[in-house]
Amino acid sequence: MAKPDVKKAKQHLSKIRQLVSTKKTPLSDMSEEEAIKAIRKTREELWDRKLATRT
Amino acid sequence: MLLVLDSNEYIFAFGVFKKAACGTLLDTILDAFPNHTIRLPRTIAEEVGRHLTPEEYREFIAFITSLTVIDEDFSVPFELGARYEAQGLKSADAFIAAYVEWVGADALVTENRHFLSRHPTLPFKILTAENCLKTF
Repeated sequence: MAKPDVKKAKQHLSKIRQLVSTKKTPLSDMSEEEAIKAIRKTREELWDRKLATRT
Repeated sequence: MLLVLDSNEYIFAFGVFKKAACGTLLDTILDAFPNHTIRLPRTIAEEVGRHLTPEEYREFIAFITSLTVIDEDFSVPFELGARYEAQGLKSADAFIAAYVEWVGADALVTENRHFLSRHPTLPFKILTAENCLKTF
C-alpha cells in the first residue's frame, strides 16, 4: 500500500462527518441497543449472501 | 497498539448513530498514529457501507485506504473461523474473531456485547471504545 497519510485521512473523516450530519438516517432515532441490533442484522444478511455465493 | 474496529465503531464515530466515545477513539487513533494502527477486513468495510450513502462510502474507503489496506476475507484461514464457530460464535462473528487473531491485533474494539460476553475465551482483548481509550 501507499505510505499512510494521516492528514488525508483526517480530511476524509471530516468530510464523512459533514455529509452524515446533513441527513437523518434510520439509525438516528434508535436506542444504542437497537442500532447495534440493526448493524448485527446487516452483518448476518451480508454473511449469508456471501456463504450462498460460495456454495 | 494494533486494533481492529468493528463496523459499529465506524458507524457510531461517523455520527450515523451518535456515540461520543467512538468518535473520540477514531480521532485519538489518528492523532497518535502510528503508535496505534488499525486493520480492516472487507466484510467490515461492506457492513459500514450498508449504512452510508454511496458518496459517504467513497469517502470512507478513501479514509481507510489513507491509513491501511482492506484485507480480503479469503485471506483468513478457514480453520480459524471454524474453531470460533465451534465455540458458539455465529459464523460472521466467528470470521471477525478469526481475522483479529490472524492479523495479530491486540484488541477488537466493539460495542457489540455478544462479543463482549465471550471475553475470557478469546486470545485478544475485547474492548468498548470507552475502555479502549482508557488503555491509551
